[in-house]
Amino acid sequence: MKLHRIKALFLRHLYPLRRDFDLLSDMLYWPLIDTLLWGITSQWLAETSGEANVALSILMALLMWNIIWRAQSEISRNLIDEIWNNNLVNLFSTPLMVREWLVSVMALSVIKMTFTLTIITTVIVGMWQANLLFFGWWLLPFIAAMVTTGWWIGFISAGIILRFGPKMQTVVWTLPGALLPFSAVFFPLERFPETLQIVSRMVPTTYIFETMRALAAGGAINWQALLFSFGFNFLYLALAIWYFVRSMRYSVKLGLGRFN
Amino acid sequence: MLLGVLSPTKGSIQYFGQDFAKNKSGALQHVTFASTYIKMPWRLTVWENLKVYGTLYDVQGKVFDQRMERFLQFFGVWDQRHKTMNMLSAGQTTRIMLAKAFLPYPKIVLLDEPTASLDPDIAHQVRKFVKMQRQEYGVSILYTSHNMAEVTDVCDEVMFLKKGQIVAIDDPLSLARSVKTTRMRLLVKDGLKRIVKFAKAQNLPVSIDDREAIIKIDEQKIAQFLAKLAEENISYSQIAIDKPTLEDYFLQMSQES
Repeated sequence: MKLHRIKALFLRHLYPLRRDFDLLSDMLYWPLIDTLLWGITSQWLAETSGEANVALSILMALLMWNIIWRAQSEISRNLIDEIWNNNLVNLFSTPLMVREWLVSVMALSVIKMTFTLTIITTVIVGMWQANLLFFGWWLLPFIAAMVTTGWWIGFISAGIILRFGPKMQTVVWTLPGALLPFSAVFFPLERFPETLQIVSRMVPTTYIFETMRALAAGGAINWQALLFSFGFNFLYLALAIWYFVRSMRYSVKLGLGRFN
Repeated sequence: MLLGVLSPTKGSIQYFGQDFAKNKSGALQHVTFASTYIKMPWRLTVWENLKVYGTLYDVQGKVFDQRMERFLQFFGVWDQRHKTMNMLSAGQTTRIMLAKAFLPYPKIVLLDEPTASLDPDIAHQVRKFVKMQRQEYGVSILYTSHNMAEVTDVCDEVMFLKKGQIVAIDDPLSLARSVKTTRMRLLVKDGLKRIVKFAKAQNLPVSIDDREAIIKIDEQKIAQFLAKLAEENISYSQIAIDKPTLEDYFLQMSQES
Protein backbone atom coordinates (compact mmCIF):
# COMPACT_ATOMS: atom_id res chain seq x y z
CA MET A 1 0.00 0.00 0.00
CA LYS A 2 1.63 3.26 -1.12
CA LEU A 3 0.37 6.71 -0.21
CA HIS A 4 1.43 8.31 -3.49
CA ARG A 5 -0.81 5.96 -5.43
CA ILE A 6 -3.77 6.82 -3.22
CA LYS A 7 -2.96 10.49 -3.72
CA ALA A 8 -2.95 9.90 -7.48
CA LEU A 9 -6.48 8.51 -7.35
CA PHE A 10 -7.55 11.47 -5.24
CA LEU A 11 -6.24 13.80 -7.95
CA ARG A 12 -7.95 11.69 -10.60
CA HIS A 13 -11.34 12.20 -8.96
CA LEU A 14 -10.92 15.67 -7.51
CA TYR A 15 -9.59 17.46 -10.62
CA PRO A 16 -12.86 17.04 -12.56
CA LEU A 17 -14.74 18.88 -9.82
CA ARG A 18 -13.21 22.07 -11.19
CA ARG A 19 -15.32 21.90 -14.29
CA ASP A 20 -17.72 18.98 -14.21
CA PHE A 21 -21.27 20.03 -13.48
CA ASP A 22 -22.48 16.42 -13.44
CA LEU A 23 -20.44 15.77 -10.37
CA LEU A 24 -21.27 19.08 -8.75
CA SER A 25 -24.97 18.50 -9.24
CA ASP A 26 -24.61 15.12 -7.54
CA MET A 27 -22.76 16.69 -4.66
CA LEU A 28 -24.79 19.83 -4.26
CA TYR A 29 -27.81 20.33 -6.46
CA TRP A 30 -29.78 17.15 -5.74
CA PRO A 31 -29.08 17.14 -2.01
CA LEU A 32 -30.30 20.74 -1.81
CA ILE A 33 -33.44 20.03 -3.82
CA ASP A 34 -34.11 17.04 -1.54
CA THR A 35 -33.64 19.17 1.51
CA LEU A 36 -36.00 21.87 0.32
CA LEU A 37 -38.66 19.37 -0.73
CA TRP A 38 -38.59 17.22 2.40
CA GLY A 39 -37.89 20.07 4.75
CA ILE A 40 -41.10 21.86 3.82
CA THR A 41 -43.11 18.64 3.53
CA SER A 42 -42.01 17.53 6.99
CA GLN A 43 -42.88 20.90 8.52
CA TRP A 44 -46.30 20.74 6.99
CA LEU A 45 -46.83 17.15 8.18
CA ALA A 46 -45.67 18.03 11.68
CA GLU A 47 -48.03 20.98 11.92
CA THR A 48 -51.09 19.16 10.60
CA SER A 49 -50.46 16.04 12.66
CA GLY A 50 -49.47 17.97 15.73
CA GLU A 51 -46.47 15.70 16.27
CA ALA A 52 -43.31 17.80 16.16
CA ASN A 53 -40.97 14.82 16.18
CA VAL A 54 -42.25 13.74 12.75
CA ALA A 55 -40.42 16.68 11.22
CA LEU A 56 -37.20 15.88 13.04
CA SER A 57 -37.41 12.21 12.04
CA ILE A 58 -37.95 13.00 8.39
CA LEU A 59 -35.18 15.60 8.21
CA MET A 60 -32.80 13.27 9.99
CA ALA A 61 -33.77 10.45 7.63
CA LEU A 62 -33.08 12.72 4.70
CA LEU A 63 -29.66 13.60 6.02
CA MET A 64 -28.79 9.97 6.62
CA TRP A 65 -30.09 8.89 3.24
CA ASN A 66 -27.83 11.42 1.58
CA ILE A 67 -24.88 9.89 3.42
CA ILE A 68 -25.68 6.44 2.05
CA TRP A 69 -26.19 7.82 -1.42
CA ARG A 70 -22.91 9.73 -1.50
CA ALA A 71 -20.90 6.92 0.02
CA GLN A 72 -22.11 4.34 -2.50
CA SER A 73 -22.00 6.58 -5.52
CA GLU A 74 -18.38 7.51 -4.86
CA ILE A 75 -17.50 3.84 -5.27
CA SER A 76 -19.69 2.55 -8.08
CA ARG A 77 -19.72 5.80 -10.04
CA ASN A 78 -15.97 6.14 -9.86
CA LEU A 79 -15.61 2.68 -11.32
CA ILE A 80 -18.13 3.23 -14.12
CA ASP A 81 -16.41 6.54 -14.85
CA GLU A 82 -13.17 4.68 -15.61
CA ILE A 83 -15.08 2.46 -18.02
CA TRP A 84 -16.81 5.41 -19.70
CA ASN A 85 -13.46 7.13 -20.07
CA ASN A 86 -11.71 4.11 -21.50
CA ASN A 87 -9.27 4.38 -18.60
CA LEU A 88 -9.57 1.04 -16.82
CA VAL A 89 -6.66 -0.53 -18.68
CA ASN A 90 -4.50 2.54 -18.10
CA LEU A 91 -5.19 2.47 -14.39
CA PHE A 92 -4.73 -1.19 -13.67
CA SER A 93 -1.64 -1.54 -15.85
CA THR A 94 0.20 0.73 -13.39
CA PRO A 95 1.60 -0.40 -10.04
CA LEU A 96 -1.83 0.43 -8.55
CA MET A 97 -3.15 -2.42 -6.40
CA VAL A 98 -6.83 -3.29 -6.07
CA ARG A 99 -6.67 -2.68 -2.32
CA GLU A 100 -5.27 0.80 -2.93
CA TRP A 101 -8.19 1.50 -5.21
CA LEU A 102 -10.57 0.26 -2.48
CA VAL A 103 -9.05 2.48 0.18
CA SER A 104 -8.98 5.51 -2.15
CA VAL A 105 -12.62 5.36 -3.12
CA MET A 106 -13.68 4.81 0.49
CA ALA A 107 -11.64 7.81 1.62
CA LEU A 108 -12.95 9.91 -1.29
CA SER A 109 -16.50 9.02 -0.33
CA VAL A 110 -15.93 10.31 3.21
CA ILE A 111 -14.44 13.57 1.92
CA LYS A 112 -17.22 14.28 -0.57
CA MET A 113 -19.87 13.18 1.92
CA THR A 114 -18.55 15.59 4.54
CA PHE A 115 -18.86 18.39 1.99
CA THR A 116 -22.47 17.55 1.09
CA LEU A 117 -23.38 16.97 4.72
CA THR A 118 -22.05 20.34 5.82
CA ILE A 119 -24.14 22.12 3.22
CA ILE A 120 -27.36 20.25 3.92
CA THR A 121 -26.98 20.58 7.68
CA THR A 122 -26.44 24.31 7.40
CA VAL A 123 -29.58 24.66 5.30
CA ILE A 124 -31.69 22.45 7.56
CA VAL A 125 -30.59 24.20 10.73
CA GLY A 126 -30.79 27.64 9.14
CA MET A 127 -34.23 27.28 7.56
CA TRP A 128 -36.14 25.25 10.10
CA GLN A 129 -34.08 25.60 13.25
CA ALA A 130 -34.29 21.81 13.43
CA ASN A 131 -32.34 20.60 16.41
CA LEU A 132 -30.18 18.00 14.72
CA LEU A 133 -27.88 17.96 17.68
CA PHE A 134 -30.79 16.53 19.61
CA PHE A 135 -29.18 13.13 18.96
CA GLY A 136 -25.87 14.27 20.42
CA TRP A 137 -23.01 11.79 20.19
CA TRP A 138 -25.36 9.20 18.77
CA LEU A 139 -24.95 10.97 15.47
CA LEU A 140 -21.46 9.50 15.10
CA PRO A 141 -22.42 5.80 15.14
CA PHE A 142 -25.46 6.62 13.00
CA ILE A 143 -23.28 8.28 10.37
CA ALA A 144 -20.75 5.46 10.55
CA ALA A 145 -23.53 2.94 9.93
CA MET A 146 -24.77 4.89 6.90
CA VAL A 147 -21.30 5.18 5.41
CA THR A 148 -20.64 1.48 5.88
CA THR A 149 -23.94 0.63 4.20
CA GLY A 150 -23.12 3.00 1.34
CA TRP A 151 -19.78 1.27 0.90
CA TRP A 152 -21.10 -2.25 0.62
CA ILE A 153 -23.81 -1.24 -1.78
CA GLY A 154 -21.16 0.57 -3.82
CA PHE A 155 -18.88 -2.45 -3.91
CA ILE A 156 -21.71 -4.75 -4.96
CA SER A 157 -22.72 -2.43 -7.82
CA ALA A 158 -19.09 -1.97 -8.84
CA GLY A 159 -18.58 -5.74 -8.75
CA ILE A 160 -21.67 -6.31 -10.91
CA ILE A 161 -20.43 -3.76 -13.46
CA LEU A 162 -16.96 -5.32 -13.57
CA ARG A 163 -18.53 -8.70 -14.22
CA PHE A 164 -21.22 -7.81 -16.72
CA GLY A 165 -19.99 -4.53 -18.16
CA PRO A 166 -21.71 -1.20 -18.75
CA LYS A 167 -24.93 -2.88 -19.86
CA MET A 168 -25.57 -3.37 -16.14
CA GLN A 169 -24.60 0.18 -15.19
CA THR A 170 -28.12 0.95 -14.05
CA VAL A 171 -27.32 -0.79 -10.74
CA VAL A 172 -25.36 2.32 -9.78
CA TRP A 173 -28.69 4.08 -9.33
CA THR A 174 -31.20 1.27 -8.82
CA LEU A 175 -29.49 -0.86 -6.20
CA PRO A 176 -29.28 1.88 -3.53
CA GLY A 177 -32.85 2.92 -4.42
CA ALA A 178 -34.13 -0.41 -3.07
CA LEU A 179 -32.93 0.63 0.36
CA LEU A 180 -35.33 3.57 0.49
CA PRO A 181 -38.43 1.47 1.20
CA PHE A 182 -36.70 -1.59 2.63
CA SER A 183 -34.77 0.20 5.33
CA ALA A 184 -37.86 2.18 6.30
CA VAL A 185 -36.16 5.51 5.79
CA PHE A 186 -39.17 7.81 6.05
CA PHE A 187 -41.84 5.67 7.75
CA PRO A 188 -41.87 3.30 10.73
CA LEU A 189 -41.09 -0.32 9.93
CA GLU A 190 -44.53 -1.46 11.19
CA ARG A 191 -46.07 0.41 8.25
CA PHE A 192 -44.25 -1.86 5.81
CA PRO A 193 -46.09 -5.00 4.52
CA GLU A 194 -45.41 -7.76 7.03
CA THR A 195 -43.84 -10.26 4.64
CA LEU A 196 -41.44 -7.61 3.38
CA GLN A 197 -40.49 -6.70 6.94
CA ILE A 198 -38.48 -9.93 7.03
CA VAL A 199 -36.22 -8.47 4.37
CA SER A 200 -36.10 -5.14 6.15
CA ARG A 201 -34.85 -6.82 9.30
CA MET A 202 -31.80 -7.99 7.38
CA VAL A 203 -30.98 -4.47 6.24
CA PRO A 204 -28.66 -2.83 8.77
CA THR A 205 -29.93 0.71 8.25
CA THR A 206 -33.48 -0.26 9.20
CA TYR A 207 -32.37 -0.51 12.84
CA ILE A 208 -30.73 2.89 12.71
CA PHE A 209 -33.79 4.63 11.30
CA GLU A 210 -36.00 2.87 13.86
CA THR A 211 -33.66 3.91 16.66
CA MET A 212 -33.65 7.48 15.45
CA ARG A 213 -37.43 7.64 15.38
CA ALA A 214 -37.57 6.10 18.85
CA LEU A 215 -35.12 8.67 20.19
CA ALA A 216 -36.98 11.54 18.51
CA ALA A 217 -40.21 10.34 20.13
CA GLY A 218 -38.49 10.40 23.51
CA GLY A 219 -37.80 6.66 23.72
CA ALA A 220 -34.64 4.86 24.76
CA ILE A 221 -31.83 3.29 22.77
CA ASN A 222 -32.38 -0.31 21.78
CA TRP A 223 -28.91 -1.77 22.17
CA GLN A 224 -29.80 -5.06 20.61
CA ALA A 225 -31.03 -3.31 17.48
CA LEU A 226 -27.80 -1.36 17.19
CA LEU A 227 -25.79 -4.51 17.64
CA PHE A 228 -27.74 -6.20 14.84
CA SER A 229 -27.23 -3.19 12.66
CA PHE A 230 -23.46 -3.10 13.02
CA GLY A 231 -23.18 -6.87 12.85
CA PHE A 232 -25.03 -7.02 9.54
CA ASN A 233 -23.18 -4.00 8.24
CA PHE A 234 -19.70 -5.40 8.78
CA LEU A 235 -20.72 -8.80 7.50
CA TYR A 236 -22.13 -7.26 4.31
CA LEU A 237 -19.12 -5.00 3.84
CA ALA A 238 -16.78 -7.97 4.09
CA LEU A 239 -18.90 -9.97 1.64
CA ALA A 240 -19.21 -7.03 -0.77
CA ILE A 241 -15.45 -6.43 -0.84
CA TRP A 242 -14.92 -10.13 -1.36
CA TYR A 243 -17.40 -10.06 -4.24
CA PHE A 244 -15.73 -7.00 -5.75
CA VAL A 245 -12.26 -8.54 -5.61
CA ARG A 246 -13.58 -11.75 -7.15
CA SER A 247 -15.32 -9.78 -9.89
CA MET A 248 -12.06 -7.96 -10.57
CA ARG A 249 -10.27 -11.28 -10.94
CA TYR A 250 -13.02 -12.60 -13.18
CA SER A 251 -12.87 -9.43 -15.26
CA VAL A 252 -9.09 -9.68 -15.68
CA LYS A 253 -9.58 -13.25 -16.86
CA LEU A 254 -11.79 -11.95 -19.68
CA GLY A 255 -9.57 -8.87 -20.12
CA LEU A 256 -10.17 -5.39 -18.78
CA GLY A 257 -9.71 -4.09 -22.32
CA ARG A 258 -13.00 -5.65 -23.41
CA PHE A 259 -15.00 -2.61 -22.26
CA ASN A 260 -13.26 -0.30 -24.74
CA MET B 1 -1.36 -9.98 -20.60
CA LEU B 2 2.06 -8.36 -20.23
CA LEU B 3 0.38 -5.53 -18.33
CA GLY B 4 -1.71 -7.67 -16.03
CA VAL B 5 -5.08 -6.62 -17.43
CA LEU B 6 -5.73 -10.04 -18.94
CA SER B 7 -4.70 -13.22 -17.21
CA PRO B 8 -2.99 -15.97 -19.21
CA THR B 9 -4.81 -19.29 -19.61
CA LYS B 10 -1.50 -21.10 -19.71
CA GLY B 11 2.13 -20.42 -18.92
CA SER B 12 3.72 -17.67 -16.87
CA ILE B 13 5.39 -14.31 -17.42
CA GLN B 14 8.77 -13.37 -16.00
CA TYR B 15 9.96 -9.78 -15.56
CA PHE B 16 13.45 -9.05 -14.27
CA GLY B 17 13.81 -12.65 -13.12
CA GLN B 18 10.63 -12.62 -11.08
CA ASP B 19 7.24 -14.19 -11.60
CA PHE B 20 4.92 -11.43 -12.81
CA ALA B 21 1.82 -12.93 -11.21
CA LYS B 22 3.50 -12.76 -7.79
CA ASN B 23 5.04 -9.32 -8.15
CA LYS B 24 2.58 -7.45 -10.31
CA SER B 25 2.78 -4.03 -8.70
CA GLY B 26 6.58 -4.09 -8.42
CA ALA B 27 7.06 -5.14 -12.05
CA LEU B 28 4.57 -2.63 -13.43
CA GLN B 29 6.59 0.20 -11.87
CA HIS B 30 9.06 -0.47 -14.73
CA VAL B 31 6.75 -1.66 -17.50
CA THR B 32 4.46 0.80 -19.27
CA PHE B 33 2.51 1.00 -22.49
CA ALA B 34 0.94 3.30 -25.04
CA SER B 35 -1.79 2.38 -27.44
CA THR B 36 -3.87 4.25 -29.96
CA TYR B 37 -6.90 2.40 -28.72
CA ILE B 38 -6.85 3.38 -25.04
CA LYS B 39 -7.80 6.88 -23.97
CA MET B 40 -7.42 8.96 -20.85
CA PRO B 41 -10.23 10.64 -18.87
CA TRP B 42 -11.61 13.34 -21.13
CA ARG B 43 -12.70 15.71 -18.40
CA LEU B 44 -9.14 16.13 -17.17
CA THR B 45 -6.61 18.35 -18.91
CA VAL B 46 -3.49 16.91 -20.48
CA TRP B 47 -1.40 18.19 -17.61
CA GLU B 48 -3.79 16.86 -14.94
CA ASN B 49 -3.89 13.44 -16.55
CA LEU B 50 -0.14 13.23 -16.75
CA LYS B 51 0.09 14.41 -13.15
CA VAL B 52 -2.21 11.58 -12.05
CA TYR B 53 -0.03 9.06 -13.86
CA GLY B 54 3.18 10.65 -12.62
CA THR B 55 1.91 10.40 -9.07
CA LEU B 56 0.89 6.76 -9.58
CA TYR B 57 4.52 6.02 -10.48
CA ASP B 58 5.83 8.39 -7.82
CA VAL B 59 7.38 10.77 -10.36
CA GLN B 60 6.43 14.07 -8.76
CA GLY B 61 7.49 17.65 -8.20
CA LYS B 62 10.31 19.18 -10.22
CA VAL B 63 11.35 15.92 -11.85
CA PHE B 64 7.84 15.50 -13.21
CA ASP B 65 7.56 19.13 -14.38
CA GLN B 66 10.88 19.09 -16.22
CA ARG B 67 10.38 15.72 -17.83
CA MET B 68 6.88 16.52 -19.02
CA GLU B 69 7.86 19.90 -20.37
CA ARG B 70 10.63 18.26 -22.35
CA PHE B 71 8.35 15.55 -23.75
CA LEU B 72 5.46 17.84 -24.61
CA GLN B 73 7.78 20.39 -26.23
CA PHE B 74 9.39 17.65 -28.28
CA PHE B 75 6.03 16.43 -29.51
CA GLY B 76 4.80 19.94 -30.20
CA VAL B 77 1.84 19.65 -27.82
CA TRP B 78 3.17 21.90 -25.04
CA ASP B 79 0.56 24.55 -25.88
CA GLN B 80 -2.22 21.99 -25.50
CA ARG B 81 -1.35 21.09 -21.93
CA HIS B 82 -4.25 22.96 -20.34
CA LYS B 83 -6.83 21.61 -22.75
CA THR B 84 -9.10 18.79 -21.66
CA MET B 85 -8.42 15.51 -23.43
CA ASN B 86 -11.60 15.65 -25.51
CA MET B 87 -10.31 18.83 -27.20
CA LEU B 88 -7.34 17.00 -28.73
CA SER B 89 -7.06 15.43 -32.15
CA ALA B 90 -6.34 11.69 -32.46
CA GLY B 91 -2.71 12.45 -33.30
CA GLN B 92 -2.28 14.70 -30.29
CA THR B 93 -3.83 12.09 -27.99
CA THR B 94 -1.41 9.48 -29.30
CA ARG B 95 1.52 11.74 -28.44
CA ILE B 96 0.19 12.36 -24.93
CA MET B 97 -0.14 8.60 -24.45
CA LEU B 98 3.50 8.23 -25.50
CA ALA B 99 4.55 10.88 -23.01
CA LYS B 100 2.61 8.94 -20.37
CA ALA B 101 4.34 5.70 -21.32
CA PHE B 102 7.85 7.11 -21.03
CA LEU B 103 7.12 9.29 -17.99
CA PRO B 104 8.22 6.95 -15.16
CA TYR B 105 11.67 6.06 -16.58
CA PRO B 106 10.44 2.61 -17.64
CA LYS B 107 12.72 -0.32 -18.43
CA ILE B 108 10.24 -1.93 -20.80
CA VAL B 109 7.63 -0.16 -22.90
CA LEU B 110 4.94 -1.83 -24.95
CA LEU B 111 3.92 0.28 -27.92
CA ASP B 112 0.83 -0.79 -29.77
CA GLU B 113 0.88 0.84 -33.20
CA PRO B 114 2.14 4.15 -31.88
CA THR B 115 2.14 5.78 -35.30
CA ALA B 116 -1.30 4.69 -36.47
CA SER B 117 -3.44 7.76 -37.27
CA LEU B 118 -0.43 10.09 -37.32
CA ASP B 119 0.71 12.37 -40.13
CA PRO B 120 4.02 11.31 -41.70
CA ASP B 121 6.01 14.14 -40.08
CA ILE B 122 4.70 13.34 -36.62
CA ALA B 123 5.13 9.61 -37.17
CA HIS B 124 8.73 10.41 -38.01
CA GLN B 125 9.06 12.36 -34.76
CA VAL B 126 7.59 9.49 -32.79
CA ARG B 127 10.13 7.08 -34.26
CA LYS B 128 12.88 9.56 -33.46
CA PHE B 129 11.62 9.85 -29.89
CA VAL B 130 11.46 6.09 -29.42
CA LYS B 131 15.00 5.68 -30.72
CA MET B 132 16.21 8.51 -28.50
CA GLN B 133 14.67 6.99 -25.38
CA ARG B 134 16.23 3.67 -26.21
CA GLN B 135 19.64 5.22 -26.62
CA GLU B 136 19.43 7.52 -23.62
CA TYR B 137 17.95 5.17 -21.05
CA GLY B 138 18.41 1.73 -22.58
CA VAL B 139 14.66 1.14 -22.63
CA SER B 140 13.57 -2.14 -24.18
CA ILE B 141 10.63 -1.62 -26.46
CA LEU B 142 8.10 -4.11 -27.71
CA TYR B 143 6.65 -2.52 -30.81
CA THR B 144 3.72 -3.66 -32.87
CA SER B 145 3.13 -2.13 -36.26
CA HIS B 146 1.59 -2.82 -39.64
CA ASN B 147 4.12 -0.56 -41.28
CA MET B 148 7.06 -2.73 -42.34
CA ALA B 149 9.26 0.21 -43.33
CA GLU B 150 8.82 1.53 -39.80
CA VAL B 151 9.66 -1.83 -38.27
CA THR B 152 12.83 -2.00 -40.37
CA ASP B 153 13.75 1.49 -39.19
CA VAL B 154 13.04 1.09 -35.48
CA CYS B 155 13.46 -2.56 -34.52
CA ASP B 156 16.55 -4.61 -33.78
CA GLU B 157 14.65 -7.82 -33.88
CA VAL B 158 11.41 -8.76 -35.55
CA MET B 159 9.00 -11.48 -34.67
CA PHE B 160 6.21 -12.58 -37.00
CA LEU B 161 3.14 -14.25 -35.60
CA LYS B 162 0.75 -16.31 -37.62
CA LYS B 163 -2.36 -17.83 -36.07
CA GLY B 164 -0.82 -17.43 -32.64
CA GLN B 165 2.43 -19.16 -33.57
CA ILE B 166 5.82 -17.51 -33.90
CA VAL B 167 6.85 -18.13 -37.50
CA ALA B 168 10.05 -16.06 -37.63
CA ILE B 169 12.46 -14.21 -35.35
CA ASP B 170 15.46 -12.33 -36.73
CA ASP B 171 16.74 -8.85 -37.43
CA PRO B 172 14.78 -7.06 -40.17
CA LEU B 173 17.57 -7.08 -42.76
CA SER B 174 18.23 -10.79 -42.48
CA LEU B 175 14.55 -11.52 -42.85
CA ALA B 176 14.34 -9.30 -45.92
CA ARG B 177 17.44 -10.91 -47.39
CA SER B 178 15.95 -14.35 -46.93
CA VAL B 179 13.58 -13.42 -49.74
CA LYS B 180 15.47 -14.58 -52.79
CA THR B 181 13.43 -12.97 -55.53
CA THR B 182 13.96 -9.32 -56.38
CA ARG B 183 11.71 -7.13 -58.46
CA MET B 184 13.32 -5.99 -61.68
CA ARG B 185 11.58 -3.13 -63.42
CA LEU B 186 12.35 -2.48 -67.08
CA LEU B 187 11.10 0.67 -68.76
CA VAL B 188 10.50 -0.20 -72.39
CA LYS B 189 9.68 2.18 -75.21
CA ASP B 190 9.11 -0.46 -77.78
CA GLY B 191 8.70 -4.18 -77.53
CA LEU B 192 6.93 -4.50 -74.16
CA LYS B 193 4.99 -7.50 -75.42
CA ARG B 194 8.15 -9.24 -76.54
CA ILE B 195 9.68 -8.83 -73.10
CA VAL B 196 6.61 -10.29 -71.44
CA LYS B 197 6.64 -13.22 -73.83
CA PHE B 198 10.34 -13.72 -73.29
CA ALA B 199 9.99 -13.69 -69.48
CA LYS B 200 7.05 -16.05 -69.56
CA ALA B 201 9.04 -18.44 -71.72
CA GLN B 202 11.58 -18.62 -68.89
CA ASN B 203 8.87 -19.23 -66.29
CA LEU B 204 9.34 -15.86 -64.58
CA PRO B 205 6.33 -14.09 -63.07
CA VAL B 206 5.82 -10.87 -64.95
CA SER B 207 3.38 -8.00 -64.82
CA ILE B 208 2.93 -4.73 -66.69
CA ASP B 209 2.57 -1.34 -65.10
CA ASP B 210 2.15 1.42 -67.69
CA ARG B 211 5.33 1.19 -69.83
CA GLU B 212 7.13 -0.93 -67.27
CA ALA B 213 7.58 -4.65 -67.21
CA ILE B 214 7.99 -5.94 -63.66
CA ILE B 215 9.70 -9.27 -63.45
CA LYS B 216 10.24 -11.28 -60.28
CA ILE B 217 13.59 -12.95 -60.47
CA ASP B 218 16.34 -14.38 -58.26
CA GLU B 219 19.14 -11.89 -57.78
CA GLN B 220 21.81 -14.24 -59.15
CA LYS B 221 19.89 -14.86 -62.34
CA ILE B 222 19.59 -11.21 -63.35
CA ALA B 223 22.85 -11.03 -65.32
CA GLN B 224 21.98 -14.17 -67.22
CA PHE B 225 18.54 -12.85 -68.02
CA LEU B 226 19.85 -9.52 -69.29
CA ALA B 227 22.42 -11.24 -71.48
CA LYS B 228 19.75 -13.35 -73.10
CA LEU B 229 17.64 -10.24 -73.58
CA ALA B 230 20.50 -8.63 -75.48
CA GLU B 231 20.89 -11.74 -77.63
CA GLU B 232 17.25 -11.43 -78.57
CA ASN B 233 17.81 -7.78 -79.46
CA ILE B 234 15.25 -6.54 -77.00
CA SER B 235 16.19 -3.15 -75.61
CA TYR B 236 15.00 -1.20 -72.61
CA SER B 237 15.60 2.42 -71.72
CA GLN B 238 15.79 2.14 -67.93
CA ILE B 239 16.33 -0.62 -65.41
CA ALA B 240 15.65 -0.65 -61.68
CA ILE B 241 16.15 -3.51 -59.27
CA ASP B 242 14.23 -3.40 -56.00
CA LYS B 243 15.96 -5.18 -53.17
CA PRO B 244 13.54 -7.34 -51.16
CA THR B 245 12.17 -5.55 -48.13
CA LEU B 246 10.59 -6.72 -44.91
CA GLU B 247 7.28 -6.14 -46.61
CA ASP B 248 8.22 -8.64 -49.31
CA TYR B 249 9.12 -11.08 -46.57
CA PHE B 250 5.75 -10.48 -44.94
CA LEU B 251 3.90 -11.01 -48.22
CA GLN B 252 5.85 -14.14 -49.01
CA MET B 253 5.17 -15.51 -45.55
CA SER B 254 1.46 -14.74 -45.65
CA GLN B 255 1.13 -16.42 -49.05
CA GLU B 256 2.68 -19.64 -47.80
CA SER B 257 -0.04 -21.42 -45.93
